[in-house]
Amino acid sequence: MGDKTCVSFTLNGEPRSLELEPRWTLLHVLREVYNLTGTKFGCGTNDCGSCKVLIDDNPVNSCVYPAKKLEGKRVLTIEGISSDKRYMHIPQAFVNAHAVQCGFCTPGMVITALGLLLEDPDPDETKIRSYFTGNLCRCTGYVNIVEAVNLAAGRSTHG
Amino acid sequence: MDNQYISVGTREVNSDSSMKSVGAACYIDDIRLPRMLHCAILFSPHAHARIKHIDTSKAEALDGVRGVIHCFNTPRNLYNSAMRFYTDTSPSDMPKTEMIFDPVVKFVGDRVAAVAAESEDIARKALSYIEVAYEELDAVTTLEHAMQEHSPQANPAGIDGTNVCGAAVAYGSGSEQEVLLEVSQSPVRLTSKFRTSRVHHAYLEPVCHIASYTPDGHLAIWTSGQNVFCFRDVLSEALGIPQNRIRLIKTTCGGAFGGKLEVMHEPVAALLSKATGRPVKLRLNRREVFSSTRCRHEALITIQSGVHADGTLAAQHVHSALNTGAYATSGPNTAGAQSGKTFVMYRAKHMFYNGTPYYTNTPIAGAMRGYGCPQLMVSREAHLDRIARALSMDPVEFRLKNALEPYAENCMGKPMHNARLIQCIKEGAERFEWKRRREEARTGQGTKARGIGMGAAAHGAGWYPVYQDMTSVTMMMNNDGSLQLLTGIHDLGTGAKTVLAQIAKEVLTVPLDLIQVIEADTAVAPLDLGAQASRSTYIGGNCVKECAEELKRQLTKEATGLLEQEESELSVKGMHVHCTKTGRSVSFADIVDSAQKGTLGPQRQIGAFRSFCSREAVYSYSAVFADVEVDTDSGEVEVKEMLSVHNSGTVINPALAEGQVHGGVHMGLGYALSEDMMIDEQTGKVENPTFKKYRLFRSHEMPRIHVHFLEEPEESGPYGAKSIGECATDGVAGAIVNAVSHALGGADIDRIPMTPEYLKSLIRR
Repeated sequence: MGDKTCVSFTLNGEPRSLELEPRWTLLHVLREVYNLTGTKFGCGTNDCGSCKVLIDDNPVNSCVYPAKKLEGKRVLTIEGISSDKRYMHIPQAFVNAHAVQCGFCTPGMVITALGLLLEDPDPDETKIRSYFTGNLCRCTGYVNIVEAVNLAAGRSTHG
Repeated sequence: MDNQYISVGTREVNSDSSMKSVGAACYIDDIRLPRMLHCAILFSPHAHARIKHIDTSKAEALDGVRGVIHCFNTPRNLYNSAMRFYTDTSPSDMPKTEMIFDPVVKFVGDRVAAVAAESEDIARKALSYIEVAYEELDAVTTLEHAMQEHSPQANPAGIDGTNVCGAAVAYGSGSEQEVLLEVSQSPVRLTSKFRTSRVHHAYLEPVCHIASYTPDGHLAIWTSGQNVFCFRDVLSEALGIPQNRIRLIKTTCGGAFGGKLEVMHEPVAALLSKATGRPVKLRLNRREVFSSTRCRHEALITIQSGVHADGTLAAQHVHSALNTGAYATSGPNTAGAQSGKTFVMYRAKHMFYNGTPYYTNTPIAGAMRGYGCPQLMVSREAHLDRIARALSMDPVEFRLKNALEPYAENCMGKPMHNARLIQCIKEGAERFEWKRRREEARTGQGTKARGIGMGAAAHGAGWYPVYQDMTSVTMMMNNDGSLQLLTGIHDLGTGAKTVLAQIAKEVLTVPLDLIQVIEADTAVAPLDLGAQASRSTYIGGNCVKECAEELKRQLTKEATGLLEQEESELSVKGMHVHCTKTGRSVSFADIVDSAQKGTLGPQRQIGAFRSFCSREAVYSYSAVFADVEVDTDSGEVEVKEMLSVHNSGTVINPALAEGQVHGGVHMGLGYALSEDMMIDEQTGKVENPTFKKYRLFRSHEMPRIHVHFLEEPEESGPYGAKSIGECATDGVAGAIVNAVSHALGGADIDRIPMTPEYLKSLIRR
């Protein structure tokens, strides 16, 4: 304690200023400070992708991302996606493609899908599969997750 | 399938997915109660040790610490965390070997003490301030060591000074001697020894519980566990609290696969809540999840078969040794479940199963998708391919010659119902173009060797005949005609709730968005025996169907008065009761209104309660086909394409059933090729307790997966349905082992996972 730092950043479009302890992770800040519990703790070791958020449009595992590095960054969480008309079709694609079972990996998957589609609006299956290599799912064998991304890509192409 | 149904067979969306996909579903770790404390557990660093003394004074002095518990200040009631019934009716013994805190710790990861504090950080910090004096004891860290005659005891509960857990499960079509004699007198004899590894469920949601003990002596527990009524009963026993004062609430479950079927650390959170008078949350980290929850039983399986020259199996003997880890939990039951599957696939007249679980000072094995079956299936399917090779027979032909036929009697004299194993194999071979692929695979190039293999599997639909199986359902119609469906069935993300609602809709015509399914809360839902044994659709579905039919009778009866017609003239359509003769109809809402006003008799609620009991031993079947490529330099295997053909009876929801198969294939692939909880023999520690080192298949490594269902209805199932959850994973590893063996020119594979190192050593041989 003691040596607190202050960071200013954008969270789901809202400007935020936060006094934080140096060892806090972004995941801790999201879940424990802002009660944004859509972002999940799966491993804490940068291995499973359940805690993915977008930082400046890039998917990042928030469980190992030091909160003190947030200064000036733009953070988008699953809560931000679901309330943004530009992006709502992505979670809906996961529903329609039957890509949701236990759902614990799903927010991280949706975030990753958005990260991919921002980078490449029309990814082929190989690209999708390699882009999702940091996201573990134990329920779906990734089959319908890939399908969901295809579906989301199709929709975004058609506006 | 001709569309005779309005709801059965439709691809409805998994009920909670719109909440889950936007991060709005509430898992336990997302629940925050007022004044809630956080808990951390001190786990044993020793494989086997007696706790001489614990000094918690420094931990208790730490700012923010509210309570510390351990074996010297908690009750020492024995229990079995895998108990299924309040009164255990299992034919296999379920030894009670666990305590909340045992003064003798029996594996690295066993509970020593626990702290409740204002934050998880403080609780974890406090753990390092607890001073424990241990007296180390001899430890048994391998299955082979545990099986030796004069090995130390890993757990004093071992029978007659050995490490045998419970009793051996041994029975067959005749005596063991008779069956072995039949094997030895057969013209072709073959013995295979096979080792299967210890794997973890690797559910993405770490184990998490919240306990809240209130001043009136009531305990509420939130868990993502799979068996809330059993948990209530075990907690009642372990804590000495009457069952009516314990409420177990299942929350949204972030994956379980059997790994949350047994009572885990709920009693610890409960005791700390009682000690502090505040709600307590416990969430394990991933490292702890690997070491201190449950895993699949490691197995050493020896199969001896006697075969006639024409390829007919004459006799088969299965010997299985299972590593149950430090405590009994599911050990004897797993051997029991494994034994049952021995007899329901192939036609050998003489068969015998002999299986024994052994204690070791290693993490506890428990229920896991397949429950003893994947071990047996991969061992036997590899063994069957060896026999086929020895006889120069095609593996598909060999299996077709020996698979049990529908409605046949097996070697135990039991009826096989509509068992479509043969059809699964035939149809799969055709769809996969087995012959063409096998032929093509002969012409490998360079260091890439292609192989085509298959494996088959069987799984039950419910517990019978091991236990009686039952569940209950309550359905109440609301004033507007919508429905409340209360069930103890647990939905682990599989879509069980959706399937049950679809069955209710089939009977009552009420759309899914007007059916509220309330699941697995001991204070609200009627009794159920948990999400296990692939029972939710078959047992739960049968019960919902009967309950809905009862509700329909009530609606129809009330309508006879309103429409002034005989019941025989009435039918249900679109949430109305119709009279075909007069063309008049009355809505469910009006019928409910009439019943509540007492228009035609005493005022009453339209609602039904039913119990369903299964006395049918029904099996689902699968045949799995794989096309793989083995790099003979590196030993790496690439799985290119797979087909999984299933006989699950009528498929209530094809989208959900396919999802089960996709996930089952994923789990089976890891089992075959990459997943292994490695235990250091010296220390008993899990060597790879992270997703970096414990390798699950990732998206880019998955093959193309094809799924096909043979919709042959099962007479005793709801609309003909059987099961899918476990059968989806049981047959996968066998197909991969046989495909890899084929790629390597018929190499005898004798273990999984087939790591590159293992395959390289096999290629060198």
